[in-house]
Amino acid sequence: MGEKMTPLTLFQLVGLFLICIGLFGLVWRRTLVGMVIAIELMINGAGLSIVAAAQLTPASAVLGQLGTLFVMGIAAAEATLILAIVLLAVRRFNTSRAGELSGLKG
Amino acid sequence: MDLLAKLAFALYTLIIVTGAIMAVASGTLVRALLGLIGVMIGVAGMYLLLAAPFVAFMQILIYVGGVSVLIFFAVMLTRAAPNGDESSPGPRGRGLYALFALVVPAVLLSCVIVKHPASAISRPVEVGAVRLGEGMLGPYVLPFELISLLLFIAMAGAVLVAWRKWGRK
Repeated sequence: MGEKMTPLTLFQLVGLFLICIGLFGLVWRRTLVGMVIAIELMINGAGLSIVAAAQLTPASAVLGQLGTLFVMGIAAAEATLILAIVLLAVRRFNTSRAGELSGLKG
Repeated sequence: MDLLAKLAFALYTLIIVTGAIMAVASGTLVRALLGLIGVMIGVAGMYLLLAAPFVAFMQILIYVGGVSVLIFFAVMLTRAAPNGDESSPGPRGRGLYALFALVVPAVLLSCVIVKHPASAISRPVEVGAVRLGEGMLGPYVLPFELISLLLFIAMAGAVLVAWRKWGRK
């Protein structure tokens, strides 16, 4: 089996590890900021997988690298919005624990 | 891969695995954030190994320089508990669900990756920043412009959302 592992497989296994441990953290963490950190782990794994697939297969390398750059831009926008939403939730509920954000307005 | 490339791959993998475990399992959020920064730097090293230096430096610039500072601000502004936010026991069955979420996709997807490898070339070809820029302003100009629009909307929306005074009847 060690002979059959291509470099592409190795890089994709690292990306898969990041995605799965990000999913684990998303369920495991109790605070909103901890969940954001887990989501960033998953986005990093996805970017690594995209670049590996673009550079190590005959597919278009320009398309893959630009795709990863766009993923980074979207991740930056997403982090900004999440920061604002977390701030709002903390101001409203006085806590950032996900389990205690259970009040409804009414 | 050459021997040096294998060594570098092993080193970056070690950094990524250590950082990822630190990011999901440590008790305080600041340590988790340090683990996340380690993961980001390790992934940038992986991009260098894949002969994509422009993406690697963008990774350091955007993630290590931008996103991690944003998350630091989020940690600072959410009034963390003194003994760590994640140290108290959580609801029952949480570890079981989290392990389930870890194991199922890991087993399924790694079976797919190992059993059906794509037709790979062994040595990556470096694509210069010139060709990336030509791609950005040529065939992919629409997503490029849409990203800038999205960033503007996200920043304006973040300011708008955080600006509203809550709790004022």
